[in-house]
Amino acid sequence: MLEEIGFVDIRIGDAIDTFAGTVGEEKARAYAVYGYAFLARRQ
Amino acid sequence: MESRRHKGAGGQAVPAPDREALRSQVREKYREVAVDPHRTFHFQTGRPLASRLGYEADAVDSLPDPAVESFAGVGNPFSLRRLAPGERVVDVGSGAGFDSFIAAGQVGDQGRVLGVDMTAEMLDKSRRTASALGLDHVEFSEGYAESLPTEDGWADAVISNGVINLCADKRAVFLEIHRVLRPGGVLQFADIANGNPVPDEALRDVDLWTG
Repeated sequence: MLEEIGFVDIRIGDAIDTFAGTVGEEKARAYAVYGYAFLARRQ
Repeated sequence: MESRRHKGAGGQAVPAPDREALRSQVREKYREVAVDPHRTFHFQTGRPLASRLGYEADAVDSLPDPAVESFAGVGNPFSLRRLAPGERVVDVGSGAGFDSFIAAGQVGDQGRVLGVDMTAEMLDKSRRTASALGLDHVEFSEGYAESLPTEDGWADAVISNGVINLCADKRAVFLEIHRVLRPGGVLQFADIANGNPVPDEALRDVDLWTG
């Protein structure tokens, strides 16, 4: 989607276990939900 | 009401939840985070979260509690790139202002930070904190991610943290971000992504979008 809209040089950071130890952890595990940092440049 | 369709686990197109219903639920959820940040949510908040997400300790420690306690991000948008001095930055879904205040420190007083949020209580909190800190180069405005209150190409950088995943039409949000960025400008954001397919019924359930 980002490339289609006009972003280039897209980078994605390592997965972060955002919901570890929280009430939402069970749901996060069920859907393998992790946090990520994203970086992209507008053409 | 424009309806966006998503692919469910079964591969069938599934209507996205109603945009206004989702906004209403998100607004209510984050109103609670603003006014009662120490209650239990399905996500972590505040200084412990900032530490776990790898924010620079000195930068976080320099901020007063109102600037940090309602922080509910999902990652660190500064982890892949530090903002440069003098940059003009838009923070999409700025909440109580934590990432905007971090950005303000990185761009310095020659830069500009515009935080945009739709939740009145979060805006109030961030404005009071900016005033208390005497940050003339930081401003908070009411608005939506799909309709940012600034002109084309104003921003050198756009940041966001755990917000785009709460928007019904992500393409519209990215198009809007593209609009406000100057050519060559940078989008640096943090958000969640799921590795396992989400069942069709979950995609229709507004409650599950907001947790």
